[in-house]
Parts: sequence; structure tokens; C-alpha cells
Amino acid sequence: MTMIYKESMIWTGISKLGSLKLTPVILALVGIGAAISYRNEGTTTWAMALPLFLVALNILAAVLTNKKFHRNKPLLIFHLALIAVVVLVALGRLTYLRGHVELTEGEEFSSQLAEVEKGPWHWGNLNLVSFANEGFTVQYSSGVKVKKIENSIRWRDEEGKEQQGVIGGLVPLKLHGYKFYPSANKGFAPTFIWRPKKGGSPMLGSVHLPSYPMHEYRQALAWTPPASETNLWIMLQFDEVILDPAQPSLFRAPRNYQLIVRSGEQRWQLKPGESVTLPDGVLEFEGLRNWMGYSMVYDFTLPWILAAAMLAVGSMAAYFWSKFTSRPWDK
Amino acid sequence: MTAGLELQALWAALVLYVLAGSTAIFGVVLRRKPERMVLAFLIIGLVLHTITIGLRWERVGHGPYINMYEMLLSNIWSLILIYSIAYWRLPAIRATAALVMPIIFMLMGWLLMSNPYDGNEPNTYHTIWMFIHIGFAKVFLGTVLVAVGISGIILLRQGRFSGGRFARMPDDKKLDELSFRLMAIGLIFESLMLITGAIWAQDALGRYWNWDPLETWAFLTWIFVAFSLHLRLAYKTTPRTSSYMIIVVFVLAFLTFFGVPFVTPAPHQGIG
Repeated sequence: MTMIYKESMIWTGISKLGSLKLTPVILALVGIGAAISYRNEGTTTWAMALPLFLVALNILAAVLTNKKFHRNKPLLIFHLALIAVVVLVALGRLTYLRGHVELTEGEEFSSQLAEVEKGPWHWGNLNLVSFANEGFTVQYSSGVKVKKIENSIRWRDEEGKEQQGVIGGLVPLKLHGYKFYPSANKGFAPTFIWRPKKGGSPMLGSVHLPSYPMHEYRQALAWTPPASETNLWIMLQFDEVILDPAQPSLFRAPRNYQLIVRSGEQRWQLKPGESVTLPDGVLEFEGLRNWMGYSMVYDFTLPWILAAAMLAVGSMAAYFWSKFTSRPWDK
Repeated sequence: MTAGLELQALWAALVLYVLAGSTAIFGVVLRRKPERMVLAFLIIGLVLHTITIGLRWERVGHGPYINMYEMLLSNIWSLILIYSIAYWRLPAIRATAALVMPIIFMLMGWLLMSNPYDGNEPNTYHTIWMFIHIGFAKVFLGTVLVAVGISGIILLRQGRFSGGRFARMPDDKKLDELSFRLMAIGLIFESLMLITGAIWAQDALGRYWNWDPLETWAFLTWIFVAFSLHLRLAYKTTPRTSSYMIIVVFVLAFLTFFGVPFVTPAPHQGIG
């Protein structure tokens, strides 16, 4: 008897949780959560996660206890699909990865991202990703507005075969669930050959100057050669106009340029092929290349979220269609 | 030459819309029913408006979705198109033109004050998803506009001005049912707008949702539509209360469409 009473109490509780009268209150909480997220970036997750959890509970309880859902399949499917969307979004937040990487022309991706933001359960295989930046073109409209980005790349596909192609705009490189998008964040990369004084093989490397044209007047950087204790300050100097605001133009390296290198009170002007002797090695300026900044994203839930959302909208439309066609609005 | 023709067609369309709205208002005030004339003005205006958009598209090389002038130009077109269909298919609510057209007049005034510069199409706009997204958005706003017209009638009937002018229209309960159905259709199209916008954002920006101002306002509008529909079902709200909620939905949608671009120019531009 007590057992039956307890079960009845639980069922009543679930019924109350699934009450349609509670739904507008929870939806209002979602709206408030969205407004809080909008105003305070730091609290985004919890301000939205809690009301969305309540939405899922409310729908789940309604599906279990409300007989209307059992009689009406489109309504049932709509609400189940909504729960699926909420669960998948949560799963996506736990497993996603977003990052940024910069690669010089000719450089291969080494699984190291400059900036990373990821969910606690991210289990991706970034170390399997292999591609190289083979150079790019960025077309600008007048007013220095990006019109088109085309980046030639070479990559090893998931079967290990070497591939070549062009990405840019809405076409990313897709590998092992990761998507790489070339961006307007790019610039010049003075490239050096560093010969350490203590011996060993020469090292080829490049320095990424601040993004161009965003930092057009700040093409300088402090840098220390590898395994060296000499702090350098380098600056790219050129007079020509690369991107003319008055007409369409193409991003390119300057034709005439020189590199200013400073170490303490010493100052050098280097042309390609020239070198400077430092206390712990010789630095040879090989020339100027370009670097490209890539945005990278990983979220395996995306196609599933899309499928669940489309199912939700389709079943909602079917529900309203059967409801509205059964009786004219003015009868 | 093309620009001159484009401007002439636009002015002619706007004049016809003003004639349609004014005729509808006089019809209500004078208790007449000049419905065929209103519909004729709307349809001829729409044809000229379509020619304007086509000429501009051909001239500048991109659709009307880059700057505020183009957004207003295309939204007035879509609102008039959807309202004209409702006007044609639902004769019982034709008096709503007296309330709906002044809203369009406001957008027309804004259009004439906007800068009609050509603009550049960003790198991330070259996708079919953008067109689908914009299409759903326009159907949503147009549907809500029709519902606003009906809500306005319900609310006006309670005031002194009405004086029986809307007596021949269906009663409040039936109008409320119709506006509910329009809001349900609006919810479907707004949901589709959000989904297709997310697909586009995923491709263009590398993330499907980022809580930027436009996304947040669009989501708040969606939540309020869902909230108002559930409130009506759960608490059996009166036609008056439902009408106020529909007006709030329209205000939120209006701010999303036309207010947020003032807050930030970033959305819809992409990482390119």
C-alpha cells in the first residue's frame, strides 16, 4: 500500500514537472539566461545551461505523463527532437575544440595550436592531421575589404594519400573531424637561416610579423633566435603601397624592402641573402615570405544537431498542419 | 541610365504603396471598402519594386542584403508581398491594411533617408545558405506583420475610435485564432531561419552560434514567440493579452532586423 502511495507521489511530482503551465515560466528563464549571457561573457555557460536543463526536464516529464503526447505522434516527435537538440548541444560543449594556428608559406602543421579553447571531454586526433601551407592569394575590393581568399595546400588524407587543393571562403580543409579555415589574419614572415656558433646543423625559421594590413604601421617584433640568448628587434621597412584603398588590389609581399635588425645599441639593415654575426651565431636573412592564420574547429555533434533540429521543425510543422486543417480559423 | 530607371521605378512603387495605404485608411474612416483598388495599387507597386531590385542587383553585382538601404529595400518588398497574399486570400481581414501600411510607410521613410551606396559583398556571402536564411527570415517577419495588423484591430475595437468601424470583421475570438495560427507559422519559419543561419555561420565563421548581438536578439525573439504560444495554450489568455504579446514579438523582431545592425556591423560578415 505504502509502495503504491510512494509511486503515486513520484508520478504526481513528474506530472507537475511536466505541466504545460510550467513551460512559459521556464522559457522566460531561458530568455533571461540568454540576456545575461549577452551582457556577461563569463557567465554564458551556466546562465544558459540551467534553464536549458529545466527545458529538457519539463519536456521529458510532459512526454512521460501527458496523454496528449501519446496520442499525437508529430507533437511527441517534436518534443523528443527538442530534447535531443539540448542534449547534443551540451555534448558538443563538452567535446568541442576551437583553435588558431599560423603557418608560413611552405610550413607544415605540427599539431601545435597558437590558441586553444576546448571542452573537458575533447578526445580528438589532432596529431593525425597533416597539411602544409603552399601559398595564398587574398583579393581586396576598393576600400581594402576582403573579397576572396584562396589558399593552396597539400595534405595527407585519412588513408594516408598525399592530396593537393585550394581552400578559402566557405571551403575549409576537413581532416579527422577538424575543419581549418584560412582567414584574413595573415602577414609577412621574414625567414632566416640560423647557424649556431657552437656548431650543429643550420636551422631555417621565420618570424611572423603582426597581421597585415590590420597592423600596417607596426611591422616590427622582438625575437630571440633558437637556442640563443641574443634578444633582437626586427622591423620590415618598405615604401610601396601594397593595398590601395582607391582600387581593387591583391595582397603580396613588397618588391623592395629591407629588414632592420637591432640588438642593444647595434643596428643592421639587411637585404635578402645578407647576414649578421651575433655573439652566439650567424643570422642570415633568407628573404620574405607570407604567413597565413587558420581558424580551426572540431565539433562532432554538428550534423546530429542539424538532423534533430530539422526533425523538430518538420514535426512541429506537421502538428500545426493537422491541427489547422482540421478546422477553419473562422468556424 | 540603369540607375535612373531604378530610381524612377522605386519612386513609382513607393507612391503606389502610399496610395494603397491612404486608400485603406480612408476606407476605414469613411466606412467604405475600396479593397480592389488597394490590392491593385499593392500589386502594381510590387511589380515596379521588383524591377527596382532586379536593376540594382544587375548594376551592383550583388543582391539587396549588404547595407541598411538594401535591407530596407528588400524587406519592404517581402513585407508587401506577404501582406498582399494575406490581403488577397483572407478578405475578412482586409481592414488591417489601415494599420499595416503605416508601419510600411515608416520603413519607406527610413529607406529614403538611407545611404544607397553600392557596398561590397563579403567573401562569406557566396553560399546558397545565406539566401535560404534570408528567405525564411522574410517569411517570418511578413507573417508576424499580418498578425500585428489583426492584433491592432482587436485592440482598436476596445477603444472609442473604432465606433463600429470593424464590426463586420470576425469576432475577437476568431481573429485571435487566426493570429495564433500566423504566429505558429512564424515560429516554424523563425526556427528554420535560425537553423539555416547556424549552418551558414558554421561555414562562414567556423562556429554555428556565438551569442553575438544578432544571434542573441534572434534567439530572444524565438523564445518570446514560443513563450507567447505556450502562455496562450496553458493559461487561455484573452485575445487582448495575446494581441499585446504579438506586438511585443514584432517589436523584438523589428529590433533584430533593423536595430542590431546599428549595434554591431560584425554579424554576417564572416572571418574573411
